[in-house]
Parts: sequence; C-alpha cells; structure tokens
Amino acid sequence: MIPEHVGYEAPASAGEAVALLAAGDARVLAGGTWVVPELGSGVSRPAVVVDLRRAGLGAIEARGATVTIGATATYADLIASPVVRERLPLLHEMALGITGGWAIREQGTIGGSLAAARPSSDAPAVLVALGAVAHVASAGGGRAVPAAELLAGPMRSGLERGELLTALEVPVQAGTHGYVKLKRGWSSWPIATAAAIARDGVLQRLVLGGVAGRPVEVDPTTLAPEIGEPWEDELAPAAYRAAVAGPIAARAAAKATEG
Amino acid sequence: MELSLTIDGERRTAEVDPRMLLVEALRDAFGARGPKTGCLTGDCGACTVRVDGTIVKSCLKLAVAADGADVRTIAGLAGEDGLTPLQQAFWDEHAFQCGYCLSGMLFAAEDLLERTPSPTDAEIREALGGNLCRCTGYDTIVAAVRSVAR
Repeated sequence: MIPEHVGYEAPASAGEAVALLAAGDARVLAGGTWVVPELGSGVSRPAVVVDLRRAGLGAIEARGATVTIGATATYADLIASPVVRERLPLLHEMALGITGGWAIREQGTIGGSLAAARPSSDAPAVLVALGAVAHVASAGGGRAVPAAELLAGPMRSGLERGELLTALEVPVQAGTHGYVKLKRGWSSWPIATAAAIARDGVLQRLVLGGVAGRPVEVDPTTLAPEIGEPWEDELAPAAYRAAVAGPIAARAAAKATEG
Repeated sequence: MELSLTIDGERRTAEVDPRMLLVEALRDAFGARGPKTGCLTGDCGACTVRVDGTIVKSCLKLAVAADGADVRTIAGLAGEDGLTPLQQAFWDEHAFQCGYCLSGMLFAAEDLLERTPSPTDAEIREALGGNLCRCTGYDTIVAAVRSVAR
C-alpha cells in the first residue's frame, strides 16, 4: 500500500500527460516495474501519479532508415514485432533475455528502463550501442536527445522536471551484433553486459552496461574499456566489475565480428 | 473508491483504497487469497495472476489501473473436472512444499507451454526465472513442467 495519499491520472494522450506534468509534483508511471515498488515503499512520494497506459505511446513503426518505438512499448511488444526482429536484431535479442521472466517482459517498458537509468538494466547500454535518439515532450515544446545524454548517472535520467519521454528513434542496425551478459543465475541481474556491432567483420561500436554508473563506450580498435569509477552493488564489488569488463567486451566483439 | 473486476469468471465490485496495489486489493478487498504478497519488488512472482489474459506480477500494478479487468487467479485454474494436467503434474512430482510460490510457478509454466509446447529444460528454467521457491530446489518443478510438455 502506498503510505500517503497520492493522486492518480491516466491521460488519453501525450499532450494531456505533459499538461499534468507541468501542473506540479508528478511521477510518470509506465510498466510499473520500478515506479510501483518505489511508491509502495515510500521512496517516491509524488503528489500525483501520471499513468501512461491510455496515452497511446506504445507503437513500433519502421520509418525509412530508422525505427520509432513508443516509450511504453513493452519487452513483449519488442519481441513480437517483426520490424524489431528484422531491423534491430540486437534489441530483439536483448528483450528475449530480460531479467524476471515473461511477466516482466509483458510489464516492463523500453522507455521506462531508459528513464530509470539503472546501471544493471539491459536497455540503456543497448540503446546507446544502437545510437537511439530519445524524443522528449514538454509544455514548452520538445527536444530530441541521444540516449547516452539521457543517462545522467545511476538511477538518474537527464529528463528535466515536466519532461515526458515519448519515443525512441533507433537507426536500423547496420551490421551483425554480439550481446553478452555476465550473471550468476537464471533469475539474477546481469553484473555486466556488452553490446557490439560489426560491419563486414570489422567492429564498429561496443558499449558496456553494468560496469559503471552509465553505459561505457569502448574504443573498437583497442577494446580496452576506460571505465572511470566502476559500479558497485550487492551483485559484485567495483574491483570485480573492473576485472570482467575487458573479457566481456572481447566476447561480444568476437560474437559480432564472427556474424 | 469502487473497483470492478471479473475474478475467476465472476463479476465483482468492492470498495478499495486507491493507494492499494492490485495484489492487496485482490486479497484484502475481494478475499481472493490465491496470489501471495511476497517481495513487493517484482522479484519473487508469488503474486502472479493473469490480467486480461496476460501474466503479470500483481504487486507491480496499482489496483486503480486494473479497473474493469478480467483477472484469473490460481484459484480459477482447476475446473469441475479437477486439477489441470499441469497442477496434477506438480502434485505428482512433489513440485511444491509450502505452496507460496505456486501462483507464479503455475502461471509462468502455463504461459510457457502455450507459447512453446515442447520446451527444453533450459527454456523451462528460463521461463521460471522470475519466480523464487525456497523449498524445492527447483528440480522437481522443472520435472513437473517437462512431464506435461508435448
């Protein structure tokens, strides 16, 4: 039970949602996998919850050289989409491996994962590897910002107060990919993830997740991760993450370049 | 506030606190105590139900967001003919002891078998990955699911 009174709104459009966000102390709710536990435990105490379930932000559309994915598209939506499977196979593979079983794939959303900015979540590093651009709406208009810039730090998105993430515009994946996760058990969160993309057997891009507070771009010519301050949590200490980053990067690079 | 749900085929209405999670409304306002309250973080799966046909962890859903939904709980699995083949397999293979995790295990397994009628053991374990059981060590659960796979 949420400990204190909280308002609840389920707007029928992104415009209505933005108006509600502009009005005051609001928390956006999408799939609920992060926000509902935070509301229930009292960690998050907004005046009003703005639930996007009726806002019509879940569509997935191919548009020439990019794929537009609505912020509330669930992992199950990504898995079921032929557009994602054919044009963004890295994202398809990532969605199939989300922690928490099929129920979480039906509930968790791609936009929610980006906004939650959890270091160990799969989506942030994969979206950065794919060069995704986030579309953000607000009462003052809107902006398009690279996914990497929307990840301000651990559990901290770069969304300003009153801003709503509405969609992700992802360039069609050009080349083969490799995706590697290091985790201890079937139901465990990944300790480290690596997403690599190669073209004609040559590595183009490699991004690590879980090893630092934000996704880490790795120079594809050296494959030597520069992590800065490694992430640390109950799954693994900083020194462990620093030690596994290189090998995980090499595995993903090998998968991507071998096609 | 008033919340209307169809629970295991029966259309019902109850007065709920708008701050309630769906699992709390089901248990405390409607008396449907099949789904259990476990971790409240989406990790353990004990609160699993179907909402409009889709398996969900009902601790991750606000009750107010489910108004009008068709909810199926573990109590609605068995029909007049008795246990479902999957439930019977759990019984036969000793796939549960205390039963707290059963909602999650049965719904996750049922959902897997609908999409993948002949799963490998790895696929079974992967599909059950969002559910925690502290009694069995999981092997008997995997055996039960395997025994009803085609």
